[in-house]
Amino acid sequence: MYRMLVPVLLLLALVAASLLSDRPLPRADLVMLNASEVNTLDPQRMSWMHDLRTARLLYQGLVANDVLDDDFAIIPAVAESWTISPDAKTYTFHLRKDAKWSNAQPVTAHDFRYAWRRALLPDLVSDYVNMFLNIKGAQAFYDWRQQQLEDFPDRPFDSAADRQRAAYELWEQTKLKFDDLVALSAPDDHTLIVTLERPVPYFLELCAFAVFSPVYEPLVAPYERPDPTTARLLRKPGWTKPGVLISNGPFILTRWRIKRDMRFEKNQYFWDKDNIAIDSIHIPSITDPNAGVLAYQTGAIDWIADVTAPYRGDMVAQKQAFLDEHAEQVAQYRAQGLDQFTIDRLLPNDPRAHTHAVSSFGTYFYNFNCNPTLPDGQKNPFADPRVRRAFALCVDKRSVADEIRRLGEPTASTLIPPHSIAGYTSPAGLPNIGDAKDQAERNAIIAQAQQLLKDANFPDDFIVEMAFNKDSGHDLIAQAIAKSWQKHLGVKTKLQQNELKIFREDLKTKQYMTARAGWFGDYGDPTTFLNINQSSNGNNDRAYNNPIYDQLLEQASTELDPAKRMAILSEAERIIVEEDLPLIPIFHYATIYMFDAHKVTGLSTHPRTKQNAYLIDILTDNKGPNQPKPMRHNAPAEAPSP
Amino acid sequence: MMTLILRRLLALPIILIIIYTITLTLAWAVPGNPLENPEKRPKPEVIEQMNKQYNLDSFPRFYISYLTSATGIKYASDTLSGQLQRERDAASAQDTPLPARPIFDLGPSLKYDDQTVNEIIRDTLPVSITLGASAILIALFVGIGAGIIGAVKPNSLADLSTLAISMIGISLPSFVIGTVMLLIFSLWLGWFPIAQWGTPKSIVLPALTLSLPFAAYIARLTRMGMIDALGADYIRTARAKGAPERSVLLKHALKNAFLPVLSFLGPATAMAMTGSFVIERVFTVPGMGEHFVNAVQNKDLFLIIGVVLVFATMLIVFNLIVDVLYKWIDPRIE
Repeated sequence: MYRMLVPVLLLLALVAASLLSDRPLPRADLVMLNASEVNTLDPQRMSWMHDLRTARLLYQGLVANDVLDDDFAIIPAVAESWTISPDAKTYTFHLRKDAKWSNAQPVTAHDFRYAWRRALLPDLVSDYVNMFLNIKGAQAFYDWRQQQLEDFPDRPFDSAADRQRAAYELWEQTKLKFDDLVALSAPDDHTLIVTLERPVPYFLELCAFAVFSPVYEPLVAPYERPDPTTARLLRKPGWTKPGVLISNGPFILTRWRIKRDMRFEKNQYFWDKDNIAIDSIHIPSITDPNAGVLAYQTGAIDWIADVTAPYRGDMVAQKQAFLDEHAEQVAQYRAQGLDQFTIDRLLPNDPRAHTHAVSSFGTYFYNFNCNPTLPDGQKNPFADPRVRRAFALCVDKRSVADEIRRLGEPTASTLIPPHSIAGYTSPAGLPNIGDAKDQAERNAIIAQAQQLLKDANFPDDFIVEMAFNKDSGHDLIAQAIAKSWQKHLGVKTKLQQNELKIFREDLKTKQYMTARAGWFGDYGDPTTFLNINQSSNGNNDRAYNNPIYDQLLEQASTELDPAKRMAILSEAERIIVEEDLPLIPIFHYATIYMFDAHKVTGLSTHPRTKQNAYLIDILTDNKGPNQPKPMRHNAPAEAPSP
Repeated sequence: MMTLILRRLLALPIILIIIYTITLTLAWAVPGNPLENPEKRPKPEVIEQMNKQYNLDSFPRFYISYLTSATGIKYASDTLSGQLQRERDAASAQDTPLPARPIFDLGPSLKYDDQTVNEIIRDTLPVSITLGASAILIALFVGIGAGIIGAVKPNSLADLSTLAISMIGISLPSFVIGTVMLLIFSLWLGWFPIAQWGTPKSIVLPALTLSLPFAAYIARLTRMGMIDALGADYIRTARAKGAPERSVLLKHALKNAFLPVLSFLGPATAMAMTGSFVIERVFTVPGMGEHFVNAVQNKDLFLIIGVVLVFATMLIVFNLIVDVLYKWIDPRIE
């Protein structure tokens, strides 16, 4: 009889043992949720938004963006000051002496050189290698290494040992070559001098990008060694693990269990740790969008950084209803110039108010294939800018944003979200039927579009194909656009829904007529958006080719006067959104946050949507100053001193 | 007994190699490169390099290299031949000490840049084991209890209602039951946390949901076994000699009725511990089941093979344990 209990006891022991070995930690000061699992904590290999956001907790670059400033100004970080040469090519950074790694070692200029060299190795294929190619000699170094690696397999060797030795020699040679070719030097531990190929007015913006963060060479180097047969550096995972990772940011990684959670504790060696108002951050991994919202509602989570639940449109609508109930106060606060999170904090607390639609640094648009012929060989009517303009006029952007997306997103008449880049004035763009003030204006737009089609001899019975990938509601948007084109332009449309992979393939090979697209900016300069329409750019899916446009971008890249340069870029964008319309901007994306503005402060409302979680202060705890951190207007410029 | 264990343990590697071969062949036959990612399009030379690095360009080379590193043969041969020492020396000479290397290396994950398959399994398997073991425990108590009740008074109201409940348990998909439970007990009543694995409280709902089909099956097995046993001669004898009913049921009848349950327990435990993908999704449990499905979708070759091998090993080991217990509980079995 008792023997029957043995299997039960065995199972019981198993459960007890695993429960005992897996004791939960106390709740962190801040619990936040990312949209998906972090891919990598190696800053030079990152490209995802949530990876970069996590990287800013762990690493600190030379400079940073002041995300709570309306201008997103560049502020000192590891570099306490810097100078720029008169020709705007040479930057000299002076590193602060108290910047330390989490093992108490000082952060030196050599750490930056090492990290940037990693990013420039073709072996490790950084997604953002192009940003580093701005440095003088970087392209030459990259090409040299690439050539050496291509030649290596064909070199004759007597034995495997010889081959291995040669692989190591090539690596040593590569390091010397880097010192030789690339204009990046560290005359002492606290000075970093970088010379650019040509002036890059947004170079400091790049330096604030997490991919430019330093890594600790003694930690990383052992994980990267040349492969004995191909001579390429082989990358082994392992150094980005809790207990192993050495970082220089406000926080250190203390736990990372895949698909489960990450935990960060304040870095005791961080030079500015006294200004960090929270001691620990917990990022559980909740992939189900609905479960994330439910967990927020039970109070387990303080901030969801990207709500993707299917009913988020309703959440935004409820928030709007809440704001409408307090319309008078809201109008008053807005007139005072307060930001939206501050207004939420000043209004009475209400669960509906915890949803926040924050404008993003991205735009949803429709591409035109601008090639003279279509994939099937017939003449492409969309090669004519007048046709593209006519189609752009007849998109009801308002109804796409308000009735389909329902996230409070602004309709777009430009590619670059307005007011997202300091010093840049967006062109007006074309009107569209959705944003027309009244029926008369609407009719005028339609008449104008019809006239344009007539002028361009748009063929009768032409079937306009619209390509989009399935999921995420792209089908609904395509249907709405198709409907207004049918109605107002009298054209026939055909919707083509494809798997993401096929859709992308068609886009790259220009096997389409019109197709949905989206673009998010990487850094705070108009070129992050405008470059994709350059005729030679790899992301020019439209096959758009306008020599005047290309020339304007070229001209901007040599213009040293910032104001003039911005004016040139603004003119370039005007060509895109008013004359040539290789794409129709539909709306600017919003990201949906969930947090209680009465409790969480330190998040930015700036359209660049870059959040530094280490700035967060929980107003209801006993840590930190517990002072609200509103957005600042025209913050005093932190002039770098030599 | 010892020969049984020995024989099974000897068969284990052979079975695993067969499973490995089949899995790899199937996974290899799926079109598309595991490194192709529609979101991020790596440059062709990157794909080529990674193909080379991981032997993804040649089936036989991959087959051998994975086999040798996963079984520890590579580690052993590198140690014996002095290769490992040479590498270490070379690395130390360059001031870059070699990071520790696992003996049984199941390879990197092609999808998760910073993870190895060893780490993924190390992080997720304990979670799945906790969940699975708790579910089987619940299933045992509930199932056997219900089975006995049903057998004592066959076709009574109690029997029919346990039958009905177990039919629901078997036929209702777990995402429906799970969602309903989440709604009632977590959201409305607030008894259990949502999406926070780790505390005993957080295990209750997923374990309960996961246990339902197993409990239903165990109830049916117990009921059948009990009805058979209760009609047997030795039960009549026991009753004739005046043994109390409780002892007749639990001591005499259950002992025989339990044996089919026990043999079900082996595969059921392995199944509960690894095949809880849906439950893991609904309750956000960070277990291994998710990787079973996602690894295939992502064509994460190393991870696919890794989780399949772990599952196969567990299945074999649990069956072995059950067989040993079986023999020990019922010495009549040869």
